[in-house]
Amino acid sequence: MRALKSVGVRVGRRLVASVPALLGVVVFTFVLMRVLPGDPAVFFASGPNAGQAEIQMIREQMGLDRPVHEQLIRYFSEIGRGQLGRSMTTGQAVVADLRERLPASLELTLVALILALGAAIPLGILAALRPNSPLDHVVRFVCSMGVCVPTFVSGLLLIYVFYVVLGIAPDPTGRIDIFAASPPDITGFLLLDFAITGDWEGWRAAAGQIILPACTMALFVLAPLARMTRASMLAVLGSDFIRTARSIGLSRWKVIVVHGLRNALLPVITITGIVFSTMLGANVLVEKVFSWPGVGSYALDALLGSDYAPVQGFVLMMALAFVVVNLLIDVLYGIADPRVNVE
Amino acid sequence: MKFNRRQGFQAAAAAGVAATAAPREAMSQTRAETLRQVMGGVINSLDATMLGGTREGFGLVMNTYDRLCSMGRKPVSTGGFTFDLDNIRGELAERIDRSADGLTYTFHIRQNATWHDGTPVTAEDVKWSLDRSVSARSLAPPQMSMSSYTSPDQYKIVGEKTVEVKLPRSDRLALGNLSTPYAMMINSKLAKQHATSDDPWAINYLKENQAGGGAYIVESHRPGQQLQLRRNDNWKNGLNGELPYFRRIIMQTVPEAATRASLVERGDADLCIDLAASDVPAIEQRNRAKVVAIPQGNTFQCIVFNTRVAPFDNPKVRRAFALALPYDAMFQAALFSRGSKYYGASWTQAPNGLFPQPLGVNQDLDRAKALLAEAGFPNGLETTFTYAVSMSAFVDPMAALLQEALGRIGVRVAIQKLPDAQIGTLIVERRLPFFTDLGSAWLPSPDYFFRLYYSGETRWNYSGWQNAEVTAMAQEARFTIDQARYDDICRRMIDISLEQMPHVMLWSGNHEAVMAKNIEGYTYWFHRMVDWRDLKRS
Repeated sequence: MRALKSVGVRVGRRLVASVPALLGVVVFTFVLMRVLPGDPAVFFASGPNAGQAEIQMIREQMGLDRPVHEQLIRYFSEIGRGQLGRSMTTGQAVVADLRERLPASLELTLVALILALGAAIPLGILAALRPNSPLDHVVRFVCSMGVCVPTFVSGLLLIYVFYVVLGIAPDPTGRIDIFAASPPDITGFLLLDFAITGDWEGWRAAAGQIILPACTMALFVLAPLARMTRASMLAVLGSDFIRTARSIGLSRWKVIVVHGLRNALLPVITITGIVFSTMLGANVLVEKVFSWPGVGSYALDALLGSDYAPVQGFVLMMALAFVVVNLLIDVLYGIADPRVNVE
Repeated sequence: MKFNRRQGFQAAAAAGVAATAAPREAMSQTRAETLRQVMGGVINSLDATMLGGTREGFGLVMNTYDRLCSMGRKPVSTGGFTFDLDNIRGELAERIDRSADGLTYTFHIRQNATWHDGTPVTAEDVKWSLDRSVSARSLAPPQMSMSSYTSPDQYKIVGEKTVEVKLPRSDRLALGNLSTPYAMMINSKLAKQHATSDDPWAINYLKENQAGGGAYIVESHRPGQQLQLRRNDNWKNGLNGELPYFRRIIMQTVPEAATRASLVERGDADLCIDLAASDVPAIEQRNRAKVVAIPQGNTFQCIVFNTRVAPFDNPKVRRAFALALPYDAMFQAALFSRGSKYYGASWTQAPNGLFPQPLGVNQDLDRAKALLAEAGFPNGLETTFTYAVSMSAFVDPMAALLQEALGRIGVRVAIQKLPDAQIGTLIVERRLPFFTDLGSAWLPSPDYFFRLYYSGETRWNYSGWQNAEVTAMAQEARFTIDQARYDDICRRMIDISLEQMPHVMLWSGNHEAVMAKNIEGYTYWFHRMVDWRDLKRS
């Protein structure tokens, strides 16, 4: 109980410490968007007859006719009310858009990460057990291929093979078959929602939609995870305590997994945290190719249209996600290695 | 290894002939009566008049709302149909009376017409909708003013089902403009319930809700993802009162053009009108989906000179540039010559008043060089040619040819690509010297083109050209009912524009719709979106 409380206090302290950084991010993005060339009012006043009057109306509607510092104060007061402004691109409140799209991105990223870890850790261990063997070279080759093929190429390739040629994948258009009934909206994570309602047919359909984009992303992040596992395992397997464990006759499994892997896991966890945050923001190409309604493609469309509010909202959300993920990683450190302290 | 995704899909089609599409074809009757359209854009408002509303919304409101009248359509020799501005019929109005002086139109609303909620359509609804189109803070008023609609005073209720529209002068586009998406008829009782003192025209409500009586009803809308509609089975305002064929419409956003192409080719989607121009010839060749290519007589691509800055304030420089361009090679490189030319005619004086049409502009390097020397640039000059990133697919090859050809008369051209939002701002502020852009007109009468693209202060007068004679003639033509006089004015405007060359008209690319082979009746509309009411599955 006491331990839990102290963890809670530490977590709280960390969150409070992150507030100045978040404020900085908000101000920085806010100013950056306004410094970039391109006037959103002109972009959106593109009706067949829109003239200066319409441009001015949009400018007023977006609050762009006011001085920048006033706009910033208004933006902060909006954040205080839990609002992030309105997107011109989709016509919705940014908060509503993010709430709808974040689960899609998170679900995709999590599934991809699980797939990647599921493949990378065994591959990394195998490569570490037989360094410079043909097996090691095969793993290195697979990793290099994964990281050097851009995700939109591997995505299109997977679509081509599994959808166009073999016809076994569903059409690559979003999270669920367009002709199916709309999914239960409980958590926004379709796999979870279908499991909760016990609709296993729907679950299979959703899984069928997510598998290709998740594989595309997993391929891309396989390399850092597998390489890091290999390097870290190599270092640990060469250390004294492993030799000791071997010499006292512990089973091979126990030596590798309990004594080796657990000690080798710290850098892998660090890398996993970084990879996760990067994937969440950088999977925009995968989202575009698979028409995945995630936050990445949302932010990109907004950026191309100089649509300020969604970009600012997205960056703020990513900053928050980074804080949370880092915190989570620190807690995981403590579990993997009790000597490490969350402080 | 270089992976080219187009080659990938070409190979895919070859292999795909063998691949089976059977499981999906076996779908029930409802699939046959469902039309699934995939598009690159998004619909951000159910009311297309909203400030910032996207183009995709035009097609939507044509189907969810009715207008008082509707343009007809005529077949095209290459297949499909195109809209016909000269053949206007009543839509929500069963009869339209025009007074002898052309200043008053009387609209008699269909007796049995109802809104989606079942309440009858009344003259108050029509009056409110017309008032809204000239009063609300939206994109509608500037469009309505193109045909002399500026004030609610022009609309009068004269009976329970009759509305009178008054014009200050007889206007050629009076009925045409009432057929555009912005002139939609709204269920005013429903809309007024959601109007507030800040928002008397229920703009916020109609953005996310509908209050119409059109052929289709929005069932669900996920902004940025998809929109689903079902047919309004009580709709009687179509040609001969016929219901549209499709019971359900799915409009889905698929950002990647290659994915859209493979969806249509595999038969999972039925229709797509925004594929990459370079993919379409290959699709046509593989023959697994139908390509309907229709000339877009109401659009054009042009090369613009900023007539307000040196050296392009000199008409001789502009003409020299126009004479230096390799038109045919550029047309081939940009659009594989799939479209209509607006160059290459042999005349020097316009033979008729049609516009746009092939103009008497051809490459003549010697004359171009001479003109440039006359203008005071015997050693050539330097300039920058700019275009939007979204156009790079077809402008990249064209720009290279332009650069090379202008080099031959001593003009050194730097090429610059900019994001769309940025280029829009620069055009409005008239800070680009030399660039390319596209134009289109909903109501493609020659005077409309001249008013919008050759005069005025809006962005659409790309070159910033001000010519008192053309400005005055364009205004006069609009109110000229006498066809012979009208043609004279238009001929004169064409001649002046060629002499002064504020921008070079290049061509208009075909509207290329790719659809399942059994889809019939595809029509190209002035708003360049799909009207699902035209389509059926054979």
